[in-house]
Amino acid sequence: MPTRPTQRTLITPHPADEAVRWLIRIRAYFLKEVREIRRQPLLLISLVAGPLLVLVLFGAGFVNSNPVLRTALILPDDLPAEMRTQITSLVGLNFRLVNRAYTPAEARAALADGDLDVVQIVPDDVFGKLQRGENATILIYSNAINPLVEGWIQYLAYAQVNEINKALLTEQTRLAQQQARTVGVRITAGANRLTELEREVSRAEQEAIRQELRTLRALIVQFRDAIPPDNLFAGRGDDVENLRARADDAIQSLDAVDAILASGDLERGLEELRDSKELLMLLDQQIAIFVNIAPETIVSPVQQRYQNIRTESIGQASGAYPAVVYYAPGVLALLVQHTAVSLGALALVRERMMGAFELFRVSPANMVQLLIGKYLGYTMIIAVASAALTAAMRLFGVPLQSSWLLFALLLLLLTIASLGVGFLISTVAGSDSQAIQFAMISLLLSIFFSGFFISRDSFAAWIEPIIALIPMSHGVAGFHDLMLRGVIPDAEVWIDLGITAIITFVLVTFLTQRQFRRA
Amino acid sequence: MTSTRANAIESHNVSLIFGENAGVFDQTYTVSEGTILGLIGPSGCGKTTTVRLALGLYRPHKGTIRVLGANPATFRAEQQARIGYIPQQFVLYPNLSVAENAEFLASLYGMRRHQIRRRLDELLEFVDLASARNRLGRQLSGGMQRRLMLVGALMHDPDLIFADEPTAGIDPVLRGRFWDYFRTLRDQGRTLLITTQIVSEAMYCDYVAVMRQGRLLAMDTPQNLKRRALGGEIIHLTLANPANLAKAVGALRRCPHVKEVRYVPESDRELYVTVDDAGDWIPEVLNVLEDPNGPNIVVESAEELALTFDDVFIRIIRQWEDQPIDQTADAMMGRESYGQHSANTSHTAHPDHPASRR
Repeated sequence: MPTRPTQRTLITPHPADEAVRWLIRIRAYFLKEVREIRRQPLLLISLVAGPLLVLVLFGAGFVNSNPVLRTALILPDDLPAEMRTQITSLVGLNFRLVNRAYTPAEARAALADGDLDVVQIVPDDVFGKLQRGENATILIYSNAINPLVEGWIQYLAYAQVNEINKALLTEQTRLAQQQARTVGVRITAGANRLTELEREVSRAEQEAIRQELRTLRALIVQFRDAIPPDNLFAGRGDDVENLRARADDAIQSLDAVDAILASGDLERGLEELRDSKELLMLLDQQIAIFVNIAPETIVSPVQQRYQNIRTESIGQASGAYPAVVYYAPGVLALLVQHTAVSLGALALVRERMMGAFELFRVSPANMVQLLIGKYLGYTMIIAVASAALTAAMRLFGVPLQSSWLLFALLLLLLTIASLGVGFLISTVAGSDSQAIQFAMISLLLSIFFSGFFISRDSFAAWIEPIIALIPMSHGVAGFHDLMLRGVIPDAEVWIDLGITAIITFVLVTFLTQRQFRRA
Repeated sequence: MTSTRANAIESHNVSLIFGENAGVFDQTYTVSEGTILGLIGPSGCGKTTTVRLALGLYRPHKGTIRVLGANPATFRAEQQARIGYIPQQFVLYPNLSVAENAEFLASLYGMRRHQIRRRLDELLEFVDLASARNRLGRQLSGGMQRRLMLVGALMHDPDLIFADEPTAGIDPVLRGRFWDYFRTLRDQGRTLLITTQIVSEAMYCDYVAVMRQGRLLAMDTPQNLKRRALGGEIIHLTLANPANLAKAVGALRRCPHVKEVRYVPESDRELYVTVDDAGDWIPEVLNVLEDPNGPNIVVESAEELALTFDDVFIRIIRQWEDQPIDQTADAMMGRESYGQHSANTSHTAHPDHPASRR
């Protein structure tokens, strides 16, 4: 039987010791939480190994950020073999072409059945339409239910059609240049013949010259018809822009010469002959310019040259990180927030439901000591888990470009803000299962809106305040800056996390105090 | 009854009403320091509410209550440090060891590590848990959990201990040990308020309060409650010859110290005789019956009838149900403060089958 100690010896008697007792009570809650979690090694392992394993699997399994789109390409029979190959190759860049020939009806049926993702139908007479200045429309069908996939299809189709257009126009320009070279050779001879007509020539010679000029005219007509649409030459200077008009002028002029020669009255047509000669010389000059421009330059006057400026500083060919590295800071933020929210969400509701609040209320401990003790305990657990995860990430090549101190500070703020959200859930949840449900909703909210997978810019402005309330939003942005960019996160990151931490602490204190009184 | 001891708890006309017939009503009672008061009653009768009012967890709608000289609703840390509480459910932590659970509770009272270590050793020894010191809460049996709760409540050495059904769900042997603990604590000068549904445990208490539907029906020492409920103590008589039964009843009715004589059901030679004090009046009853100049009846045996407190409890409940509440309460309760009494064996007539009345 225990002897009864002298009255009041167990409780430190001096009023000055009240502060010590205050701290002892905080330590009681702190140690209790740490010991309880320490006794659950599986929980600790899953906190670190779980996210790491997911990250490793992601890194090993991730091959492409674009969706794989099974595509049937239906080409017209009249398409030249060379063009057929080229279009097939271009479409194959963005779409996975299936090895099977479909009719349009079969393809649409396969699309409806889900056997295909995209069907592309290239129309007949593409070049004919092009030469007639008409649009040839490639029909692209999908049966997508995912809005992101549909966006990808539209974007990839747009890029693909641009490439096909470029290929077609380049080919047509090349053909026109070949025609132009042939015409160029004949123009000089034609101009010389017109000069001969200014002198005395026999009727037979006139007829020979007339035939030569007719041949020249036919070549110019062929050339004119092969010239790509005028808008392709926009901004390339008068010499090239007026090529078709100059060709038309030359044709008309040769028609006039032909009429003069038919009449045999060369004296009267002398002026016309001289004008025609000048027009031919002019056309010759323009053709000389035209044939010397590369077809690709005419079709794509503006080219791009991309450089990620990070390559200058890191001396590597690619500036962007591998996907697994890029997503690592987000995974860290996710781990911190979800662990904190889950622990916090269950913390108070469990105590309340098991009746511990009653025991606490009867004791001299108060609710603020309880909250501080729990905050400290959980913060330490999460700090240990985060440190282990960060160290493991380092082994996998995830860098920390900025200072460790700022990294630790951001981790601390994110943990406290997330714990606040968790404790808030705990104050409103009526049971364990409700708390877990609320924690899962917060996880879902975070994955959608935090910028982890979908950029925050994708959302309407009115949703920004909700995003700002999610600690992980700031965690993802902040860790990206600190770990990958090597810059200090914006003030907004620190301020929003600080505000969330303070507001949730005040709310939790107020609500728990009320529940404490009702225990 | 009067007491020279100070009162640890004073409750005057306290009511806390949760709804129609739910809550506690007009509770007036006092608990002297250094005594055990057992609150006995069926589930839902208001025992826990009474405890929570005294702990300051509830505020009364009416009346006043003072515990250790203060209003429990406004307890300061010094007063809270003098109170120990064992709640009805096991609220300790399954992933903490016995020692860690106790250390946690002691730390809530601001105890330092060296104080905790010393005290814990003593208490674990006291409740036979020393060998389970490092066992986790989830590995403890129900009885061990209860003992750990007791350790937790005693760590800070409280003066006043509230235990809400501490023996519920544990075996009779362990229950007996628990009452040994409680009496030891009482002997050390502590005051205990213990609730229980196990009516027989009333015999371990210094004072017993019987509760029903939020009301205190009766409160006194166990033996006084028996007397009040049954009208005195009971002598169980067995006659040698059944033919003398009617003659014996007649002779006993004429005896001024006999309050009531009843036949024992299904027996033709036994009687229950109610007197003020069985020990005092057995010789007199035998004299009356065996008087050679009177009835001259041979009595085979005469002994005090030892009835359980369950019978007393049922009797009290029935009396309360048969009478208006106020009358019952007034009749059954000593409104004044009560003092220390020794617990003697009590005897009573069987409450059922009244065969005859004086």
